[in-house]
Amino acid sequence: MAREKEESMQVSRRATRSSTFSANNNGIELGKPNDSYIPTLGDLVFGQEPISLDDLLSRFPGRRVQILELLRLLGTLNSSMPPLFVYGSASTGKTSIIIQVFRHLSRPFVYTSCLSCYSPRILFESILNQLLLHKKNAFNGYSSAKRCEKPSDFVIFVREALINVIDSLKENAEKTSTSKLKGQVNGKMIYLIFDNFELVREWDKSSSILPFLFGLSDILKMPEVGMIFISSTSPDTYHSNTGYVAPIHVYFPECTEDDLRQIFMRNQANQKLYSSFLDIVLRPFCRITKRVDELSTAFSLLFKRYCEPLSDLGVLPNGEMKRRLFSHLQPHIAPSLNEIFRVASQPCLECGVNQETRRKGGARKSVGSGDLDDIGFHMSTSAKYLLVSAFLASRNPATLDASLFDTTGVSDSRKRKRKASEKSLEQKEAAEQELLMKGPGTFSLERLLAIFQCITSVGEEEEGNDGLRVDEGSNALMSDILLQLTSLCNSNFIVKGGSCPLEGSTRYRSTLSEDLAIKVARSIKFPLSKYLYRR
Amino acid sequence: MGKENPAAEKASNLLRSRLCDPNFVVKHLSDSPDSNYSKLKFLVSSSVTEACNNSILLLGPRGSGKIAVLELILTDLLLEYPDTISVIKLNGLLHSDDCCAFKEIARQLCMEHQLLFSKMASFDDNSQFMIEMLRECGLAHKTIIFVLDEFDLFAQGKQRLLYSLLDAMQSVTSQAVVIGVSCRLDADQLLEKRVRSRFSHRKLLFLPPSKEDMQRLLEHILSLPVDSSLPHAYAVEFNKKIKNILADGRFKEIVNTLVNLDSTVNHLLRFLFLAVSYMDLESGFLSFENFKTALSNSHRQPKLECIKDCSILELYILVCLKRLEVKEQNSYNFNSVMKEYKSIHDSFQTSDYYSRNVCLRAFEHLLQRELICFTDNRGYSQSVEFRPVKLLISSIELHQGLKSYCSCPVILLKLVER
Repeated sequence: MAREKEESMQVSRRATRSSTFSANNNGIELGKPNDSYIPTLGDLVFGQEPISLDDLLSRFPGRRVQILELLRLLGTLNSSMPPLFVYGSASTGKTSIIIQVFRHLSRPFVYTSCLSCYSPRILFESILNQLLLHKKNAFNGYSSAKRCEKPSDFVIFVREALINVIDSLKENAEKTSTSKLKGQVNGKMIYLIFDNFELVREWDKSSSILPFLFGLSDILKMPEVGMIFISSTSPDTYHSNTGYVAPIHVYFPECTEDDLRQIFMRNQANQKLYSSFLDIVLRPFCRITKRVDELSTAFSLLFKRYCEPLSDLGVLPNGEMKRRLFSHLQPHIAPSLNEIFRVASQPCLECGVNQETRRKGGARKSVGSGDLDDIGFHMSTSAKYLLVSAFLASRNPATLDASLFDTTGVSDSRKRKRKASEKSLEQKEAAEQELLMKGPGTFSLERLLAIFQCITSVGEEEEGNDGLRVDEGSNALMSDILLQLTSLCNSNFIVKGGSCPLEGSTRYRSTLSEDLAIKVARSIKFPLSKYLYRR
Repeated sequence: MGKENPAAEKASNLLRSRLCDPNFVVKHLSDSPDSNYSKLKFLVSSSVTEACNNSILLLGPRGSGKIAVLELILTDLLLEYPDTISVIKLNGLLHSDDCCAFKEIARQLCMEHQLLFSKMASFDDNSQFMIEMLRECGLAHKTIIFVLDEFDLFAQGKQRLLYSLLDAMQSVTSQAVVIGVSCRLDADQLLEKRVRSRFSHRKLLFLPPSKEDMQRLLEHILSLPVDSSLPHAYAVEFNKKIKNILADGRFKEIVNTLVNLDSTVNHLLRFLFLAVSYMDLESGFLSFENFKTALSNSHRQPKLECIKDCSILELYILVCLKRLEVKEQNSYNFNSVMKEYKSIHDSFQTSDYYSRNVCLRAFEHLLQRELICFTDNRGYSQSVEFRPVKLLISSIELHQGLKSYCSCPVILLKLVER
């Protein structure tokens, strides 16, 4: 029961109607490829059974005000409406509530997300496809019903399509009023919903697409068409040179702590237990973020830990047990507060905690394979060396390379460090400031490869006769190394910058943070700190 | 929600459809002789009857009912002279591209005169066709009315459409009226010299309605027809209540604040729509409270709302940015924010000190909320920590937001106030 509920919750939370729809249709197509499935107007309403108002309200705890406001603005059957602009930050339930409201009303609507329809043409064609009840499939070569790129063409096509749909809706309304068919399409209004509307601003800086979409209802002048724009940014972030008539704003505020409690209490098997858990964790976590999606990932892990001492999850906690559970959980809260945003799997978290305890105990031996998990991803040894050398190349000034990688150079740099006069301190501070502002420096490919060769040879020396040799002859591996470099670039560990104005070659830049670099270096037992120039 | 009153439902539907239809409002405002309606109608109908060319600009802020007035006149004229008028409508948002505009003109002309429209026709073909059609229509004493909505957008680029239209109108054979509609009051200044010299420089300004007009308009919109399918007693009662509300001093104050913010008709209509949507469908009457809530809901302060949505950690970061701004550092990024954050923590020992990762995520949330933004657009090669940012809220807004935040740490307020 709870599982089923959860599933439906998940569907309503993220999955949009179009995705659930396409899943349905795929099922049909796969089952019977020659099925003569005739799309009807019913496709324009939500695919599942309509839900009652009470159900709708209970599905979204803490959103009662917003749901009622939406229902009021949408109004009674067949009442026209100016464009709505629904906004609120991420994970406040804008999209899912609107979709479910339409499910409740069972009125026809056309949903398009500007995230998946990432250009005007795709957006236009997606709207037209849905209005014309056109499904892309193998028979029509997955093509759209109409090809339309310009707003002017779109207006012509969409007007035609809307008139058709509205006519058939009117017919339908007359029919149902006589035969009293329930669960059918309601009313003769059709609503166009544009999700992720904030992305439209980026589409074309100079273009008129934003005022066009805002003014679409004025251009169409059809009272039977309602427009709803869903955006995660507030209306004052929409600028356009020509201006537009402001739509009616509906605001979805972030959930309060009480709302969050209600949301997390939903679908919990043991309400009492979970509530005592929330008593402990909700407040500190709320200070960091109020986003439901981030909180829920953090809580799911913590709750498992909370329940660890319990043998029976159905138990009703009393005061004494609550205290016991609390003292069990307490040491984990603070670290997880600082880890909240990691998408960590269970073993990873455990490993992190182990590390913590080990460090506290002072046992700081080289841990061998434990450190490999530390990075959290697998990577070949040469890639790690490459990463470390890129890090060094980004952090160290190029002029010091010779002295650092010379065998005698290491001690030199230490000597230089000792004598610090007033002036050099000031300089140091300025340099630090610059490092903070400018970030890691850039380097050329030649320098990277030179450092790479240096440190691999050092690594070989230090490893001695270890079986885990990096590369027998690093000269022979040059092409492989270049390949590795490309893959590191693709995974954003190293970014390609612009070309150097003097040399003309491409410059690279390492995005590795120092912590991660140290971890990587430790996993290949490379003495990174020896080679890192400290200002 | 209890059972709903069918008459109330009907009434609300009627009011909503009225409010969504600008023509209804304009019709009411257009009866006086010196209204824009009568002026424009006289001008257009005289050029139809006297077979002359004309051009005029309708100027006024967005939502002041320019297009609605024009539509009303065109429907009237089409009834009056059904055979001698054809209307071509263009919109700057759709047809600002010259090629596209000529194509659309050709398409509408073909539709009007039952000709075959070729999609493949070139720019030259289409413009040639338009000039031919203008001459033919002139010979047949038919007037073509060109309506150019968002006129200022046609004035971008080379203005070839405007030039060829206005140039064709210089000859005696043609018979056309060009009506430009724009919300830019300096729209005629945007024209090139060759276009401007061919333009008539007639302008019609759309001013907001006077107070008396506003009052009459409100009554006209909100009162129900007594002789319709609605129950008579209900309609009479409804109208009586509306009259009481309209006469109320508090209501007049609300209207005043509305007008002070934005005096266009459209703004008023949106406000009324909100009020009608709040109408209690059980009793079926509008109350003063409906208007009050509509006013408070129609004017939001998005930035303050955004601050209220933030978590405590996000507020800390905002305050750090604010402090950096006060210190007049020329640019700052996440790293300098972290430095500031650490120094705050070191000097005040706050309980909210989180790791760098957590702060970075909070920082990204602020970016998503657009309370802060990157100062440069190009630095994609840099990671987020190093890209310089700027604050998008003023210190007053931040201060206000912090004060209205229900559980804001005292230290933050102190830090901002200094």
